[in-house]
Amino acid sequence: MGEKGKGWSLGLAALLGPAAFWLGVFFLLPLLLILAYSFGTSGIYGGLTLGFNPSNYLKVFDPLYLEITVRTLVIAFINTLLCLALGYPLAYFIALRGGRWKTALLILVMVPFWTSLLIRAYAWVVILGGNGIANRTLQFLGITDGPISLIFTPQAVLMGMVYSYLPFMILPLYATLERFDTSLKEAAHDLGAGRWHAFWRVTFPLSMPGVIAGSILVFIPSAGEFVIPNLLGGSQTVLLGNLIQQQFLNARDWAFGSALAVMLAVLLLGAIMFYVRRIGTEKLGGV
Amino acid sequence: MEDRRIQERPPDAPPVDRKVAVALSGITKRFGDFVAVDDLNLDIYEGEFFSLLGPSGCGKTTTLRMIAGFEEPGEGEISVAGQPVQGVPPYRRPVNTVFQSYAIFPHLNVFDNVAFGLRRAGVKGEELRQRVTRACKMVQLQGFEKRKPRMLSGGQQQRVALARALVNRPKVLLLDEPLGALDLKLRKEMQLELKNLQHEVGITFIYVTHDQEEALTMSDRIAVMNEGVVQQVADPATLYERPRNRFVANFIGQTNLFSGTVESVNGEKVTLVVPDGAKVEAVAQDGAEPEPGSEVHVAVRPEKVRFGAAGDNVCTAEVRQIVYLGVSTQYITWLPDGRKLALYQQNIQDAGGYDVGDEVTVSWDARNCLVLGG
Ligand SMILES: Nc1ncnc2c1ncn2[C@@H]1O[C@H](COP(=O)(O)OP(=O)(O)O)[C@@H](O)[C@H]1O
Ligand SMILES: [Mg+2]
Repeated sequence: MGEKGKGWSLGLAALLGPAAFWLGVFFLLPLLLILAYSFGTSGIYGGLTLGFNPSNYLKVFDPLYLEITVRTLVIAFINTLLCLALGYPLAYFIALRGGRWKTALLILVMVPFWTSLLIRAYAWVVILGGNGIANRTLQFLGITDGPISLIFTPQAVLMGMVYSYLPFMILPLYATLERFDTSLKEAAHDLGAGRWHAFWRVTFPLSMPGVIAGSILVFIPSAGEFVIPNLLGGSQTVLLGNLIQQQFLNARDWAFGSALAVMLAVLLLGAIMFYVRRIGTEKLGGV
Repeated sequence: MEDRRIQERPPDAPPVDRKVAVALSGITKRFGDFVAVDDLNLDIYEGEFFSLLGPSGCGKTTTLRMIAGFEEPGEGEISVAGQPVQGVPPYRRPVNTVFQSYAIFPHLNVFDNVAFGLRRAGVKGEELRQRVTRACKMVQLQGFEKRKPRMLSGGQQQRVALARALVNRPKVLLLDEPLGALDLKLRKEMQLELKNLQHEVGITFIYVTHDQEEALTMSDRIAVMNEGVVQQVADPATLYERPRNRFVANFIGQTNLFSGTVESVNGEKVTLVVPDGAKVEAVAQDGAEPEPGSEVHVAVRPEKVRFGAAGDNVCTAEVRQIVYLGVSTQYITWLPDGRKLALYQQNIQDAGGYDVGDEVTVSWDARNCLVLGG
């Protein structure tokens, strides 16, 4: 028994080893480094001395930065809701009505992944810009007289985010709905539930794993997003991602940047745990 | 075991005074070019245990789904409790279904599964609790109300599906091979239980099965289907004793089939000549008159054939195979022209010791030998 157990655990170590090493070196180590930096002190001309300096964290609660944090969370939240509202019907349609077009439709959903985010964000600049396609169309149709500011607004940032993150919502939703046993929907109808009730009492609760996975996949990266607000947002839509980027690249205040990064990570972890607890155990229990 | 087939109602009492629960008239359902159900005409009476019996793929589920409202027939009309239901969505039909896969809601516990339909109907509070508890008790699931479906055995899930449907007191309960996934012993138990339950609640059951034994033990009447077409509608005894055609004769129980040419017809009595020249005395179906000279098939059940020369049809045969079945023994004999003839002999005391290879005389009566149509 002992011999056998040992061999088995050796095999397990061999299997898990590479991934564990990879995660340890490229994920955990930088994370610890950031944590250490966040308590350090930045020199005036860059550079950083390690130590225990909590002032970086106090600075995080400066109203100016707090506003950015709140704005980031609100935008990430709205983005998640919009992706869910737009993505659910689409995933539902592909999974349950797609028939032989399923694969083709799914590939279409993933088409945006074929070009880099940067290029896609620039495409939006071209469309929404002062002299862009959108403005020219509006003027041509006589809806507006001159160029209006479509770009550099929170709406533009949201539009870009929804566009970028929609596939991350659709794919997990599709995966759950694809496995949905439609006879359960029929059973609901059979028991007197119309479309509305059948959906909210049976289909939707049973697709919760997909809703949760999709929401997490959209919420987390959109809370850390900096490319889209950089290109499509103005000074009014600086998000945490931009702030952190600025601290590291422009202001060279690595200590404060690290503190912001740690706070973002903690916030996201807290939000996810709250979300999974509240919705997860309530609706998922027993599935 | 045979006692179970005791008829609750005399089988040939004409059901004139009984109201029709479900009427199917001229129902045809096509999937593309494929005809799944072909010109189906059935009247199913209130309080009846009615079975749709037939091999897999013959259109039983499709028929049930049309009654439930999940499929619309291409042609024909369906009425439930006297009301035409064309275009009425499933959630407004006074029927409930026990699905083949049970289709129990995995995210709800037993109580909420059973309460689902009642809540939709606006039943609340104490009445809801009482009715759900009573339904659970009826299917012997009391104490399981808080369990999630995944913590139940197959048989228990089956009961949940049953309680969930019955609790709504539907006019008609549709059951699609509800016992198909259970093992033999449990299936036998549940057959009895279902039959008793139906008797208790008095709801019309339309029961789909491909198991002829199950249909025979449980049903008041059975519609035998093949390839979308109803072959015969009758009570179990009539189906067994008076199968209308070869399909029914073969599908229900075991049977010996002969083909031959009609030589003479004398009222009900038919004499035919089989290929080797021997004569077989048989009887025609009620009302049918075979033409002399036509090719027909006749059937005789193995238990109606006996050893000895006391019968209208007598022939010699050779015993080829003996199968001991406990209560009886099956002998497979070969007639001189090479046709097989099976017969059963009851194992009363230690009678009838025949061996493989013995020459025997076998006989059967004309009245047990039925000329089949189609
Ligand atoms: N939605 C459908 N589309 C195409 N063919 C179908 C569909 N449903 C059933 N069929 C076909 O109709 C026939 C009868 O099916 P069904 O009623 O399920 O048979 P049974 O329940 O008697 O086994 C089968 O050949 C089946 O393949
Ligand atoms: Mg079927």
